[in-house]
Amino acid sequence: MYRYDAVDRLIVEERVAQFRDQTERYLAGLLDEDAFKPLRLQNGLYIQKHAPMLRIAIPYGVLSSEQVRMLSSIARRYDRSYVHFTTRQNLQYNWPKVEDVWKILAELATVSMHAIQTSGSCVRNITTDPFAGVAADEIVDPRPYCEIMRQWSTLHPEFAALPRKFKVAFNGAKEDRAAIYVHDLAFDLYRDQAGEVRMKVLVGGGQGRTPRIAAVIKDDLHWTELLTYSEAVLRTYNKLGRRDNIFKARIKIQVEALGAEEFARLTNEEWAHLKNGPNTLTQEALDRVAAHFVDPVLGAPSEAASQNLPTDARFREWMTQNVVDVRHPDYAAVNISLKRKDIAPGDATSDEMDAIADIADRYSFSEVRVNHTQNLVLPYVARAKLFELWAELDKLGFARPNISLASDIICCPGGDFCSLANARSIPLSARVAERLEPIESELGPLAIKMSGCINACGHHHVGHIGILGVEKGGEDWYQVLVGGRADKGGRLASLLGKAVREDDIPAIVEGIARTYLNQRQNGETFIDTFERIGAEPFKPALEISEQAQA
Amino acid sequence: MSLLLEIDAQKGALIRGEAVERPAPKPVKPANEGAGDVRRKIVPVVKPPAGPSASEWENGAYVSLQNWLEGAPKGAAILLQPADDVRALEGRVGDVPLISVDFHRIGDGRGYTHAFLLRKRLNYAGPLRAIGAVTADQVFALARVGFDSFALRADQNGETALAALGTFSVPYQGAVVAGTAADREAALLDAKVRLLDLALKNIAMSHNRPALASSLSAEDMVIADAIARLNLPIDVFTLDTGRLHSETLDLVEATKQRYGREIEVVKPDAGAVSDYVTRHGADAFYESVELRKLCCNIRKVAPLNTALKGRSAWVTGQRREQAVTRGALPETERDAERDMQKYNPLADWTWTDVLAYANRFDIPLNPLYQRGYVSIGCEPCTKAIRPDEDPRAGRWWWENQDSRECGLHTAANTRAA
Repeated sequence: MYRYDAVDRLIVEERVAQFRDQTERYLAGLLDEDAFKPLRLQNGLYIQKHAPMLRIAIPYGVLSSEQVRMLSSIARRYDRSYVHFTTRQNLQYNWPKVEDVWKILAELATVSMHAIQTSGSCVRNITTDPFAGVAADEIVDPRPYCEIMRQWSTLHPEFAALPRKFKVAFNGAKEDRAAIYVHDLAFDLYRDQAGEVRMKVLVGGGQGRTPRIAAVIKDDLHWTELLTYSEAVLRTYNKLGRRDNIFKARIKIQVEALGAEEFARLTNEEWAHLKNGPNTLTQEALDRVAAHFVDPVLGAPSEAASQNLPTDARFREWMTQNVVDVRHPDYAAVNISLKRKDIAPGDATSDEMDAIADIADRYSFSEVRVNHTQNLVLPYVARAKLFELWAELDKLGFARPNISLASDIICCPGGDFCSLANARSIPLSARVAERLEPIESELGPLAIKMSGCINACGHHHVGHIGILGVEKGGEDWYQVLVGGRADKGGRLASLLGKAVREDDIPAIVEGIARTYLNQRQNGETFIDTFERIGAEPFKPALEISEQAQA
Repeated sequence: MSLLLEIDAQKGALIRGEAVERPAPKPVKPANEGAGDVRRKIVPVVKPPAGPSASEWENGAYVSLQNWLEGAPKGAAILLQPADDVRALEGRVGDVPLISVDFHRIGDGRGYTHAFLLRKRLNYAGPLRAIGAVTADQVFALARVGFDSFALRADQNGETALAALGTFSVPYQGAVVAGTAADREAALLDAKVRLLDLALKNIAMSHNRPALASSLSAEDMVIADAIARLNLPIDVFTLDTGRLHSETLDLVEATKQRYGREIEVVKPDAGAVSDYVTRHGADAFYESVELRKLCCNIRKVAPLNTALKGRSAWVTGQRREQAVTRGALPETERDAERDMQKYNPLADWTWTDVLAYANRFDIPLNPLYQRGYVSIGCEPCTKAIRPDEDPRAGRWWWENQDSRECGLHTAANTRAA
């Protein structure tokens, strides 16, 4: 858990005072709509379909139980007693009032939280592996680097009016759980032969209307140059990124137009002025930031910690699916599934949030993580207490053993909430989950991702099966994609064919799943099979709809 | 002509020009109903540049970058456009009298990079002006990248823009993220001082007759200094127990003189004191914790309660670092016993912070600190300590560590609120 110091606290307090003043001037008619818009956006405030929406930053997905309780309490007092976790480790309120937002931010400031740069054309919340610091396959703990990046990019005066939004992610493990290949700028941390931390720098990935996999523009950046290199990338983008067309303004378009090599050359030319300069990090600076992360002391490993756990079948299934090994043999990380029947993916009520905070206090040293798959994680659970914890989570409905299975669908708020959406996504995700649930354990890992429009908040481009809402003659229609992945270097999904009706989607998705079951060879997962056979064999599944219509 | 906000190295920030007469603003109904059920697409909005054009300012004395490079008259000012490459000016900016950067719209941030490059890469030291779509809400960031004058858009309010220059006191970039330990310490102290100021302003605004109960300790001197510096309506009183060091009493006068503000000196009930002395002896507090606490009660706690009567909040200089009993001290808590709010604005300050503040603002401190005293109470109950001892080791040193509070700060009200 990162602990705020006086500088952190002051910045959020002054930010609240600034936004209070801006809101008051707006309400008094002294600040016009156009001038207020970028100000409110950089404080996380959108005006959505039914109401304003407020996005709160959860830096690199780490929350304390105290923060969870505050988020829950705010939902009760200013909203409709529920929250929504997003695909970028953030949290959204769907019904706040414009005039209340600064008050909400003031309350959040008391628990070291804010909404700074959660929207707008600026560097957004920094994301990373939800298992950072505990992951068994971790090479470098990315959290101190994330925090340094968060501080440096927060209210950076030069980069507050970029051509477009700018998303940054870090990975420090063997397996990429932060979707780094679909970020504007990302860092893949590793150790060189001398044991020094270096980074692969990825630029120009992203989803949205023009999905692109990031290009590696530097493969051996020494950690001390994290900020100087980032500054070079951002300055190059700020100068050259397109500003004449909002659809072509992301860095990926610029990287593609120039070619990754040319973009790297321009960045290096700028970097030459910056490296070994004032923004070069020192060991002292890194240690200082790292010291703000106060992790629990887990003690020396003891044998027997995980022996004698009950053999209850439901508990065992949950263990297999939702519990993750960590470095410490006596502990485990536990996924809290927010993919429940008839509840929008990533939603939790205030009462549920309070219950989660209590559980975090009792089982996970008061810490909770947010996963970009819209689930929560308890990072420090003693194995000996897993059964007890399971029983509690089960009672609350948070123990559905579906992590990374077919019903663990990533889904944007869609047409039910979002004013950009072309189609609804939440109801359809429920129908798909229901349809596949009976065979989901047989199917194994299957990432279904659904977006209500081409902006791709539901990550459909990197779903093993992606579903994209489009609009046809005032009705909700959907395109189906297969073979995308967010990990292992990322791959964009292939479109199977033309859009189909909502009612046909569950059957089509089942058809795709059954195609895999028929085609798979010894132990292949869905995505393994796709990689061997390609998209073609999945295309007939789309016919299911055409036959149904005929 | 509309307003020009200028930052002058000598005179500070000031406003030139006259505000444009504008109709009275109409309050806005916030858009709490949302954008409606519109399946709208994102449409790029391209608006014409707003605000004063360059020519309005300087009547044609500006030239474009292109013209300047092709050989403009000596002494011409340059007007940069967003798409210009300022590196073309490398090595040639020495005698340019003024460079202005035209912001076509609020969201076009290229001008910020122009300023950065001019200042840091080209070492341009002359006046640098932002013109065009320049609003009060941008001047803070503009100033930080190197602009020192701002031709505000016609609808902008000068006072708002002037105030906006002070929006943030300690930015992250620079010293905080990548500076040396010393830079970082200085930034942290700046932040702590500013947080103290904000906390005190907030207390002054939200309470009835709030007061600082000052023991004239270095901590309380820090708070009293901030109260005086900000000229806040927070009373300062001190408890003269009758057994204080003369050095401490001298400080009362020194403080009054220094700030020209009253410090109320509250004395214990004479009858209760003489009763204690007659019954138990003047120094009976050495005999037992009970008698010590009774003495504290008569000489400190009861007078404090009297002094706090009719107030809705009090302020203390307690710090977490001071004692095991103060380890979880919150910055604000409910004082249930006295039914009022209690503030500990220095809760997270270290002793180093206190001394650094005293040094920066040159405030008078009790000379006993220089003689090894760290926590200073009544003369018979306080002694100097060695540097390696606990800060409160010099208070009631004959007792157990966990009982060493006088009763002003009871266990119940030091628990987190």
